[in-house]
Amino acid sequence: MRASFPSFGYETLALKSFLKNLGAEVILPRDLTKRTLEIGVKLSPEMICLPFKITLGNFYEALEMGADTLFMAAGAKKCRFGYYHFLQEKILREKGPIVQSGSFNFYPVSQYTPYQFVFEKMPKIFATTPHKVIRALILLLAKSSLIEDFKELLRKKRAVDFAEAERLEKIFLKKIERAEKFSEILWLKKEIKKILWVEDRDDLLKVGLVGEIYFMIEPFANQEMEKELGRMGVWVLAKRSLYRHLMHLLKLDWEFLKFYFLARRYLKDSPGGEAIRTLGEALDFIKKGVDGIIHIFPFTCMPENIAMEALKEVSKDYDVPVLSLSFDEHTSKTGLLTRLEAFVELIKRKRSKFC
Amino acid sequence: MKIGIPRALFYHRYGKFWEVFFQNLGVEVFLSPITNKAILEDGVKNISSEVCLPIKILIGHVRNFKEVERIFLPRFVFLRDKLFACPKMIGVPDCARFVSHFPIDSPKIKNNLFLPHFLYGIYLTKNPLKSLFAYLKARPFLRFPSQPPSFPKEEKKIGLISHFYNLNEDYLGKEVIRFFQEKGFLVYTKEDLPISILHNKDGFAKNIRWVFERELYNAFRFYLDKLDAFCFIFSFGCGPDSLIGEIMEREAKEREIPFLKLVIDEHTGKAGIITRLEAFLDMINRQNGK
Repeated sequence: MRASFPSFGYETLALKSFLKNLGAEVILPRDLTKRTLEIGVKLSPEMICLPFKITLGNFYEALEMGADTLFMAAGAKKCRFGYYHFLQEKILREKGPIVQSGSFNFYPVSQYTPYQFVFEKMPKIFATTPHKVIRALILLLAKSSLIEDFKELLRKKRAVDFAEAERLEKIFLKKIERAEKFSEILWLKKEIKKILWVEDRDDLLKVGLVGEIYFMIEPFANQEMEKELGRMGVWVLAKRSLYRHLMHLLKLDWEFLKFYFLARRYLKDSPGGEAIRTLGEALDFIKKGVDGIIHIFPFTCMPENIAMEALKEVSKDYDVPVLSLSFDEHTSKTGLLTRLEAFVELIKRKRSKFC
Repeated sequence: MKIGIPRALFYHRYGKFWEVFFQNLGVEVFLSPITNKAILEDGVKNISSEVCLPIKILIGHVRNFKEVERIFLPRFVFLRDKLFACPKMIGVPDCARFVSHFPIDSPKIKNNLFLPHFLYGIYLTKNPLKSLFAYLKARPFLRFPSQPPSFPKEEKKIGLISHFYNLNEDYLGKEVIRFFQEKGFLVYTKEDLPISILHNKDGFAKNIRWVFERELYNAFRFYLDKLDAFCFIFSFGCGPDSLIGEIMEREAKEREIPFLKLVIDEHTGKAGIITRLEAFLDMINRQNGK
């Protein structure tokens, strides 16, 4: 079996080793490029949100490279994300690359309960035992937790010493990709903490990054926003990662309760997607004392638009600047940088006024 | 007590029910005026530019009230069978609360309509019996037609596939309905169908968990082999429609039935719509001439 899935930032490495442990050959397009986006835009309906287009382009390129089994996440069906796979499968079967068209399997994954996932679906797809699935799942959790730590430390390192952070990032990414055993992962975790550790400093500008999960995690989608902010000397705080999401799906994410109660003042009921989490995280960051909040989401994303209205209100109540950025396929990096620079300038000035 | 009901979004389906309900409670009901340009512009100014037009209009209506004490704007979370309303509809009472001049009452509607209305009635009048009777009096206005409409063979028939809050809005759909009626078409909408057809779970409809989208899709499937052409009207930025519309267009294309996708936003002019509809009519006529 030659399996593929849409690229998901650094978390791709964890997912890749999960599939490998289950005995599949993993085929991934090397990088997301402009071509990926162009293919996606050409094939998809006009008004759909950007993650659909990027992941569709991603699948197309994977099929070109010879993949025959595609995995796609699927949400709870309040938001459009829960419906991606219906249309994507249809489009790929009709207009996919000629090499493979019509002869691939397409599995939407996360609609199952954890029990179904471990004991029914995965063993059936990969022809293995539940025992092996559980082992692969634990390794996936360990690795994604490692990647979460790595990203968190890296964000601070970037703000202090950007060039050094870039160098270390490349080295450690290779090491993370190679780590397959549990002991290796634990060892790497310690080493990353030792080398990337930076003392707490008060003079760094702190910005909380919240928003839609695909945009938070995939650097191609958010135009490498974390890196650019790091280059400007801003310490980015972000809490979205694959590890947390998996814990949430396994109902083990205690922090979500906190977010839920924080957000309740503004949103009385969850509008689906991740609006509650976005809002809760933003309020949590504000309580911890950040200088500003950046909110990113795809153009016409329904839940995040509601969250954005609430964030406007939060901004007024707590007197914290909020920058809401929506992305579509025409968003240019230059324009984005200009807006980010202006925002950083604003929070700098605001801070100097009070100190 | 003076209660304001915005004449937008859910008013177009539940409006009559609410009016009768509040009248029987002995509460004075104020309706906002029919949508005009000033209301629309006020709405556009006060909410993010990315949400769809019906929501913008609703915000304009909420801000339009002058002398009410409370505004009644229920929150539809899900209806029968856990069919959800769209995320924006769930969130819009919160958005309205941020910009409105008056306090907003938004009882949550989850599955049944009776309990939230009954409790709200008690809250207003402190009288459970009165609330119960008001609900029973208003109940007939919730009914859907019991029989599907007839399809005469000689007439030209067109299906307008769109939400009730688009079609009944003067600014959006009424223009289109009027246009087709003037040209001698029989117009069919999803509101003409009984609820058993709209909510059935066969085929692809099983996968659609948005209640109004499932209704649209089921109506489309029911009309598919009975009508000559379809016009699908949706507002720019409507998330569910952008997806389900695509699926419907594919099915219509397979059967070679004319299918027009008409996108509407606050900048759409009347002349522009008419031009597109006329071009569509020419296309239908040419296809029939063949």
